[in-house]
Amino acid sequence: MSAPLLRLEKLEVTYHRVITAVQGVSLEVAPGTIVALLGTNGAGKTTTLRATSGFIGLDDARVTEGAVVFDGERIENLPPHRVTALGIALVPERNKVFENLSVAENLDAAVPRPGARRRRSIELAYEIFPALGRLRRREAGYLSGGERQMLAIGSALACAPRLLLVDELSQGLAPLLVEEMMRRLETVRAETGATILLVEQNAQVALEVADYGYVMENGRIVLDGTPERLRAHQDIREFYLGTGGGTGRRRSYRDVKQYRRSRRWYG
Amino acid sequence: MQIAVNIAVLASIYALICCGYVLIYRATRVLSLAHGELMMLGAYGLYATASLFKGHPLIALAAAAGLALAVGLAVYAALMWRMTGESVLAAVLATIALGILLRGAMMLAFGTLTQHPLRDLGWENASIGLPGGARISAVGAALILSTGLVYGGLFAFLRGTRWGMRMRAAGQNPLLAAQRGIGLHGIYALSWGLATFTGGLAGMLIALDAGLESTLVIIGLKAFPAALVGGLDSLVGALAGSLVVASAEVLLIQYVDPLLSDVVPFFVLLAMLVVRPWGLFGTREELDRV
Ligand SMILES: Nc1ncnc2c1ncn2[C@@H]1O[C@H](COP(=O)(O)OP(=O)(O)OP(=O)(O)O)[C@@H](O)[C@H]1O
Ligand SMILES: [Mg+2]
Repeated sequence: MSAPLLRLEKLEVTYHRVITAVQGVSLEVAPGTIVALLGTNGAGKTTTLRATSGFIGLDDARVTEGAVVFDGERIENLPPHRVTALGIALVPERNKVFENLSVAENLDAAVPRPGARRRRSIELAYEIFPALGRLRRREAGYLSGGERQMLAIGSALACAPRLLLVDELSQGLAPLLVEEMMRRLETVRAETGATILLVEQNAQVALEVADYGYVMENGRIVLDGTPERLRAHQDIREFYLGTGGGTGRRRSYRDVKQYRRSRRWYG
Repeated sequence: MQIAVNIAVLASIYALICCGYVLIYRATRVLSLAHGELMMLGAYGLYATASLFKGHPLIALAAAAGLALAVGLAVYAALMWRMTGESVLAAVLATIALGILLRGAMMLAFGTLTQHPLRDLGWENASIGLPGGARISAVGAALILSTGLVYGGLFAFLRGTRWGMRMRAAGQNPLLAAQRGIGLHGIYALSWGLATFTGGLAGMLIALDAGLESTLVIIGLKAFPAALVGGLDSLVGALAGSLVVASAEVLLIQYVDPLLSDVVPFFVLLAMLVVRPWGLFGTREELDRV
């Protein structure tokens, strides 16, 4: 196996100097793969991605332990624009477009990775999301949720990333559109050769496109494996896919006592 | 007719000053209360270059303008970069302290005498007759022209260039801007540089027209209501606000009492805050952040 493009080593992230949202997360993303990071609300998925793409002063957050290694280089606690220049682009969970700029301006404002071809990256965004071409002059604040998501991915692509981080692709999208967007991500990988780390609550669709998956809970990775292995896992079936258990009722992850889950995972 | 000319000149002065407030506020959410002093520093810059480049008034002007730009960048690099993007209140307080310091330093360095940079440059403020019997001073005409050029340039920059778009983007969503590879410090420094450049230009032109003395700071402060009336985060608003405030001021001076001159802008400001706190062209939620 080739060296991973991204490696998180025992990552620990603290907000406001007191709240530890991620505690000792280790994961690897091999070049050219799509990796899914699954988990319930508040598990620390967004924090993990944000730690990779960099915090700004307003976040009042820091990587307090461990390392983020991208292409052999340690990048934890670099400012976001330097991380982007290295070739990592994030599609954030919220506030993902510049609302006062038009669609075309959103794409133009992105600073491409040094050495990448700016024009080509933007053309590619229009090719993968033809709808953006029709909306070129529309102010981004007036876009629908789906259009926003396309623009967010498109403008991340305009940075010509080698690693694309996507936070909650499915959020607020109709089920049909979610599958459509997942296929577009595969197109992105095929066209740009970018590696993709995908955060999702919707395990079903994520495991369809992913080559590998991690499951997070309470700031830790509790399970990882290939999609086949994860799908077959009793807990995943029960809590994420709603296909196991036999009760017919989709139970929440939180219904099960923590010790029982840990015993199953660690024991 | 003369009244219209007076309004146009005063509105240009206010507009030229208050685009600085808007530029800094839009990018960093910080109200720079040192703008009046920086403006005066720009004027003293011209006073200094005028004696340095005797007999070459255009070189002196260009050097002073370059100096103002450099001062703005330096203020950001030396002081404001620690604060912008973090605590707005601390940053505003820092600008107040900076203003007081600058005022004291200028008093020490240049004294309290009224200076006449126009004479130092070897120029005269000719009075130009306009159709309709009105008259305008040459510097007044230069003011209107400069304001037009500055606003035209700013609009072209913000709308038409990639760095202008990035500046607008960073103002709306700094986190996303950073994630899209935009260096925030570069954008903020540029805002401070442009703001101090335009403010300095205003200071120089006012000093050429009316002499250079400490009341210049008051004019800087009087332009602030114009920016707020317009909505603080909008350049179109700054233009409109300047026109409103200048009209009110000129008309009240003409028909009521010249002594009102210094209070009118603040009266307009109060009226505006009561009726429409986010300004003529401002974004409604913006005011919470001041
Ligand atoms: N800015 C912040 N300040 C303080 N605590 C935070 C901040 N952001 C997140 N947290 C806390 O960190 C923990 C992890 O949050 P995070 O957003 O990473 O979860 P998530 O897995 O992305 O959840 P979701 O699926 O709901 O998006 C939560 O307990 C949350 O309350
Ligand atoms: Mg999240």
